[in-house]
Amino acid sequence: MWINMGPQHPMTHGLWNLRVKIDGETVIDVDPEMGFLHRGIEKISEDRHYNEVITLMDRCCYVAGLAWEHLYILSAEDALHVKPPQRAEYLRVLCDEFQRIGSHIMWYAAFVQDIGLMSPFLYGMRDRDLILDLFQSYTGARLTYEYLRVGGVRSDLPPGFTARAREVLDWLDARFGEYDQLCLGSDIFRKRCDNLGILKASDCVAHGVTGPMLRSAGMKRDLRKDRPYSVYRQLDFDVAVAEGADVTARYLVRMEEMRQSVRILRQVLDWLDQNPGPVLAENLPRWLGAPYAPIGREGYLLKRNYPKGVGFSSVEEPHGEAQAYVVNEGGEHPYRVKFRSPVFANISAARQYLVGYHVADIPPIMGSVDVCVGEVDR
Amino acid sequence: MQPEELQARISPKLGENLLGVEPFAGTAGRVRFRPAGALELFETVRDDLGFRHLSMVGAIDWVDHREVFYVVWSDDARQYALLSTDLAADAPHVESASGIWPSANWHEREAWEFVGVTFDHHPDLRHLLMPEGYAFHPLLRSFKLHEPEELEVKSRRV
Repeated sequence: MWINMGPQHPMTHGLWNLRVKIDGETVIDVDPEMGFLHRGIEKISEDRHYNEVITLMDRCCYVAGLAWEHLYILSAEDALHVKPPQRAEYLRVLCDEFQRIGSHIMWYAAFVQDIGLMSPFLYGMRDRDLILDLFQSYTGARLTYEYLRVGGVRSDLPPGFTARAREVLDWLDARFGEYDQLCLGSDIFRKRCDNLGILKASDCVAHGVTGPMLRSAGMKRDLRKDRPYSVYRQLDFDVAVAEGADVTARYLVRMEEMRQSVRILRQVLDWLDQNPGPVLAENLPRWLGAPYAPIGREGYLLKRNYPKGVGFSSVEEPHGEAQAYVVNEGGEHPYRVKFRSPVFANISAARQYLVGYHVADIPPIMGSVDVCVGEVDR
Repeated sequence: MQPEELQARISPKLGENLLGVEPFAGTAGRVRFRPAGALELFETVRDDLGFRHLSMVGAIDWVDHREVFYVVWSDDARQYALLSTDLAADAPHVESASGIWPSANWHEREAWEFVGVTFDHHPDLRHLLMPEGYAFHPLLRSFKLHEPEELEVKSRRV
């Protein structure tokens, strides 16, 4: 018998439908139905100015907007042959890593509630708010930031930011242990998560699964190390890996990643304190670079003969490996933009990690995938 | 891995179906091939060259032809490579890669529904993000953003 889990179901954490074929209590087939949140971001981008696409990137993934902005910007800069200043690169890493912690805490809060533990949700949301406060102080927004620009970032940090950020990091660093006590110390958690949703490394590779799911299968793969973009080469951190490939292993990987992000952020804040400088490349055409320039006819007229190019970039987004392919044909808009969402690939392998388990196991397993429907549907 | 090495290792297998390998931004190279050699190329790239991970399949409408590109990753070389092929604009089709890399399944469904490229021998070529029966391919250049698609809505009132 086929049953629908979704589009309105607590397990989905977004708008999608998991069709499940069951035999008694056992799952024998699944068929995810996506597209409920499709907004045509790739199509709309073809009709937008290069800097206007950034707005759409925030809507791509609503818990990791800055990571998606970074992905697009790297690709657009590649296509337009623009180089950002060093300080802008560090500011982008600052965004990325705070966003990673924010996204993982959001995942933690939602996932643990799915399993039946109520209080971690409250602690998680409390701590994530501190990160959103930081974002608000330098980007002006809590969810849709529009902070990165082709050629740099929009503005520098406000005075006193690094001190505040360090306080938040100290606070967060002390909380991760408490999270672990709440979860790993709970019998309910262990019984609902151990040996569930196993996806071995070879299956992960065959089905394109990346990110914490791949690393929880013991495979040490992280684009920040393997193909360092921005300034990750200069930063010291370890790749979080776990054995077991089950739900608990994915939990452990994400927890360790947050600790490593704190470690990266401390180095980034030190660097930012010592190295003032410009945050936007100079001599950019006005339509492209200027943070406050009105986007209008005057701006558009300047760039008719911009060199053509194709940009390709990939970043380690909190959910896994995201890629962007931007084709620049010399016009004011990208000719074609294509994004690869890590969650898209992770869900497409659903049959591999759901079949054979019980219906009641689906919420913890899908929770451990960390679904963000915004970036799957785009 | 450099474009020259890719060329040297692929060309004995593919022969004239290999059109060339060019440098491409921060990757091992961009392999351009004829659609007739698709399956052979996929197998060579995965088994002989170690690109076991297919990250993305995308399609571009160039109006006079369509392009399908594949992004693959090798864990040994820690590098990406791009494979790309040009298809005729009328009835564009290429062999499905999902027999070689299962991860191609959804990406090809998406490329089919948005750019109208058919993937031969695909196990499950149906709509993914758009509703069943959706008759347009929105990422074609001929699909204009500012001209709303014409849908005939009949009033229920008589």
